[in-house]
Amino acid sequence: MKDYAEKRLLIILFLVIPSILLSLFVVYPTIRLLQLSFTNWNGLSNNMDFIGLKNYIKIFTDSPKVWLSLKNNGIYFTVHLLAIPLEIFIAFLLSSKIRGSRFFETVTFLPYIVNGVAISYMFSMLYSTQGGTINQILSVFNIPAVKWLSDPNLVNFSLTGVTLWRFCGMHIILFLAAIKSVPGDILEAAEIDGASLFQQYIRIILPNIRLVVEIVLFLNVRGALQVFDVPFVMTGGGPGHASSTFTLHTIETAFTFNHFGLASAMATVLMLLIIMISYVQQLLMGGKEQ
Amino acid sequence: MKLKNIKISTILIYLTFIVIAVIVFGPLLITFFAAFKTSLEYAKDFSWKLPSGLYLDNFVTVFKEGKMVLGFKNSMILVIFTILINTVLASMVAYILARFEFKFKKLFMFVFLLGMLVPSFVTEIARFGLIKSFGAYNTIAAPIIIYAGTDLMQIYIYRQFINAIPISLDQSARMDGCSYFGIYRRIIMPNIIPAIATLAILKMVEIINDMYIPYLYMPAERLRTLTTALMSFAGSKSGIFVELSAGVVLVMLPTLLIYLFFSKYILKGVVAGAVKE
Repeated sequence: MKDYAEKRLLIILFLVIPSILLSLFVVYPTIRLLQLSFTNWNGLSNNMDFIGLKNYIKIFTDSPKVWLSLKNNGIYFTVHLLAIPLEIFIAFLLSSKIRGSRFFETVTFLPYIVNGVAISYMFSMLYSTQGGTINQILSVFNIPAVKWLSDPNLVNFSLTGVTLWRFCGMHIILFLAAIKSVPGDILEAAEIDGASLFQQYIRIILPNIRLVVEIVLFLNVRGALQVFDVPFVMTGGGPGHASSTFTLHTIETAFTFNHFGLASAMATVLMLLIIMISYVQQLLMGGKEQ
Repeated sequence: MKLKNIKISTILIYLTFIVIAVIVFGPLLITFFAAFKTSLEYAKDFSWKLPSGLYLDNFVTVFKEGKMVLGFKNSMILVIFTILINTVLASMVAYILARFEFKFKKLFMFVFLLGMLVPSFVTEIARFGLIKSFGAYNTIAAPIIIYAGTDLMQIYIYRQFINAIPISLDQSARMDGCSYFGIYRRIIMPNIIPAIATLAILKMVEIINDMYIPYLYMPAERLRTLTTALMSFAGSKSGIFVELSAGVVLVMLPTLLIYLFFSKYILKGVVAGAVKE
């Protein structure tokens, strides 16, 4: 009986602070977000009116900027999605027991730990039309200068280049860990049977790392729909609204224009989008496996 | 035939390695070079050319105008307090979840899982009002509470480590009259030190690099972190690339150094966080 009381006390003592923090900073804001999304709160005043679905109706019928932003998120999402097979292949190459592979593993992951804001400024300078390195390289080949960040049709791809630089290495390391957990004797047997590198990749590696692929797909949805710091620092969403993203637009709606109600509705839509797309991806992955 | 096959793949592998190294180091080196150039030199030469000498004025400017020392100090305060609070709280929760059964365990774990699914960027809109009502807005406490209170991945990693500690250790300590708290302190804690090291390093990198939370909650000038200090410095130096480069290099340096020494831990932590979710 004494044992039971002690156990109970410990469980309560150890969980009480984390529970409070979690309720306050994760659970409450999520519920509050839903609640605010049905109001016209301006973020400052004490009173807010319940306005039903008006915010949601506005998002879906009268907010071209929201859709433009979401389309830009789509660019990040698609480009990173397309990069995944290449990432897996590079991870596969890195997994071979070759002199220096450890070192290159470290190098590959390096961009992920570099300060994102510093990276953004770094690439702003590289993309610059005034003596930026990339245009200098082009000039060596007599290619005219390109307006990487001020051409509305190009800017999102330029920015996606930055996020690729930043995150591909991390994905590669995750894939690499998964590949390393594939039993070596399977690969050896395949090699003895004369399977080429490419065949090993398709037939053995891919099916065996499904779980990590799912995780990276989830990270990609989350990451691509929440892109913030790179466009915020590099273009501020410009030129015009050409490189705005959903998060950027939401934050602007809330903190610049004080439309907290509307911004909350946008945030809720974003949350639902992340859950929906992740779910669809999971279904597709499952379907392929069977 | 076999030999030739191996050779081609080896060449392909090294070629890939070289391309990766160029992509990773190229931009960093160019920025590093620019930080040591004069504006004139930067405008005149190709940017991949080595600087002509050790010109340090750009760094002097960053230190003088960029408030980097202040930024470093604030970032370190955030790092130290967050990691202390985080380590204690997360390991306590992990110990309970790993070793005890109780009524609302399922619900509890569900809420933690939920926390990982909620997109943190946008919930900030609702969190903002909360922080303000506590009077924590524009104080250094705001980011600390948020970093410490919402990091859920850690609990999962600690739990894995605790699961790997044989439960017979707990039992024999118990037989010797050790309290449950004593088990946590004398058996669990010492055994998860590698995990603590890994997660602390990861957390450190994450906090130093974070821009969003300090930007939102600590606009005051005296509360600049390394990252937000760089942002205001860059705002005042738009177009002066050599000085901006020096700022960028300085801000990148702390996490790069951490990585240089602890890359093994960092890689392990990242993999553990994702692969065994």
